[in-house]
Amino acid sequence: MIEVRNLLVDLGERRVIDGLSFSVKQGEAVALVGPNGSGKTSVLRCLLGLLPYRGQITIGGHDAWREPVAARTLVGYLPQRSAFGDATADEALRFIARLRRLDPSRTVAALARVGLAAHAHERTRTFSGGMQQRLALAAALLSDPPVLFFDEPTASLDRAGQQTFLLLAEELRREGRTLVLASHRAEEIDRLADRVLTLDSGRLSAQHDVLAGVVPLFGQVALQGGPR
Amino acid sequence: MRLRETSLIAGREVREALRSRWFAAAAVSFLLLALALSWLGLAGAQRSGLAGFDRTTAALLNLTLLFVPLVALSLGGLGVAGELEDGSLALLLSHPVTRTEVYLGKYLGMVASMGASIVAGFGAAGLVVGVLSGGGQVRPFLELVGLSLLLAAASLSLGTLISVMTRSRARAVGAAFAAWLALVYLCDLGAIGLAVARNLSPGQVFALSLGNPVEQARVLGTLALTNRPEVLGPAGLFGADHFGPQGLTLLLVFALVAWSLGPLIAGWSIFRKAVVS
Repeated sequence: MIEVRNLLVDLGERRVIDGLSFSVKQGEAVALVGPNGSGKTSVLRCLLGLLPYRGQITIGGHDAWREPVAARTLVGYLPQRSAFGDATADEALRFIARLRRLDPSRTVAALARVGLAAHAHERTRTFSGGMQQRLALAAALLSDPPVLFFDEPTASLDRAGQQTFLLLAEELRREGRTLVLASHRAEEIDRLADRVLTLDSGRLSAQHDVLAGVVPLFGQVALQGGPR
Repeated sequence: MRLRETSLIAGREVREALRSRWFAAAAVSFLLLALALSWLGLAGAQRSGLAGFDRTTAALLNLTLLFVPLVALSLGGLGVAGELEDGSLALLLSHPVTRTEVYLGKYLGMVASMGASIVAGFGAAGLVVGVLSGGGQVRPFLELVGLSLLLAAASLSLGTLISVMTRSRARAVGAAFAAWLALVYLCDLGAIGLAVARNLSPGQVFALSLGNPVEQARVLGTLALTNRPEVLGPAGLFGADHFGPQGLTLLLVFALVAWSLGPLIAGWSIFRKAVVS
């Protein structure tokens, strides 16, 4: 579903990603882990065409840079930090629905799924961080995309918000969606990912399958309690 | 590039501009100033016997040359930089739209917003004067509206280029204000200084004026009001002699259109490969 070959990204004088190659099968969930500055978010941005890069990226067979419309039609993106301008929640989703050539009435069900139905006509600027993140998830799921990119999805959420999000994300996984997740939270990776790619200074330093209750993180094994 | 998606983004930009407090304040200020100048112009016309439209149009020209570039440069400056800074541009580009559609959609939306504000301001002023004065040339007034729209498009184009280059609200607003000072005041002072220091010919001074869209608008507006290029001094006479009054008007219109397209294209060439975070 996703192929990345010899990915190279330079930002100014700094090489952010250095010859990275990996693939993600349809229905698989891959977590990108690594310390701050290792290139996790940069990889996601390259997949979305937000960063100029050298190398090749295809999503569903479409080149991510040369065929951005075809590639991104398959993708829902949940960034670490969301912003919707001065729109209300309903207006923001309706705009995305029109952009993606969807029936605008889908926004009602999308808001209900993330628990924001009661806030549909409120300005998103008044939302808390957790509410903004839930709205961003609704936007990402609006077109029922087969591929999801999550960038540190629970970073701005409190404990309760994290658990709510993880339950929803697990449901999305059971639906068979392909997921690429940038994270450094062990619980998130353990519950959502099938495989972990460890990045270090923009290079792939290790690759592991996620075993139940055992999350390889930064090359070290961290024991997690409870079944998967 | 798809027209539908570009139009959707332009519509979004118009909605954002209408919700923006500072833009609303600027539009209302323009409307009130236009009305005030119209009323004052009419009061003066009643004392001196001149037609209301002519006097009002002259006053509105000065308002246009100061106000329109200031608001348009600021609006354009915030267009891309603001969304880059708060992350909404990355979210927008994660959907199936191209960078060209986003860039052009945002620009066209800002042009529409400025256009609506200008038409509302001039429309209200024209209505007041037209109803109360009952005389004067309507055509110069309409030409003033047209050149205001052109000046707005050129200023927005320059503001958008500034926005793409600066990538942050604070820097964009600062650079836009500096550009406004340069176009409205410093270029004139620089041209005068250069003309005196280097003993420039009228043709050279005329050529310098083609490098400033505000100066182009000033000459166009003066021609529309007076149809007497000698009012503009030796440089204006040079232009009229070489191109004829209509040719001069056409040349200046093309120059403003070039100022609308040039910075826009330059900004696009940066934006299409920019890092969006």
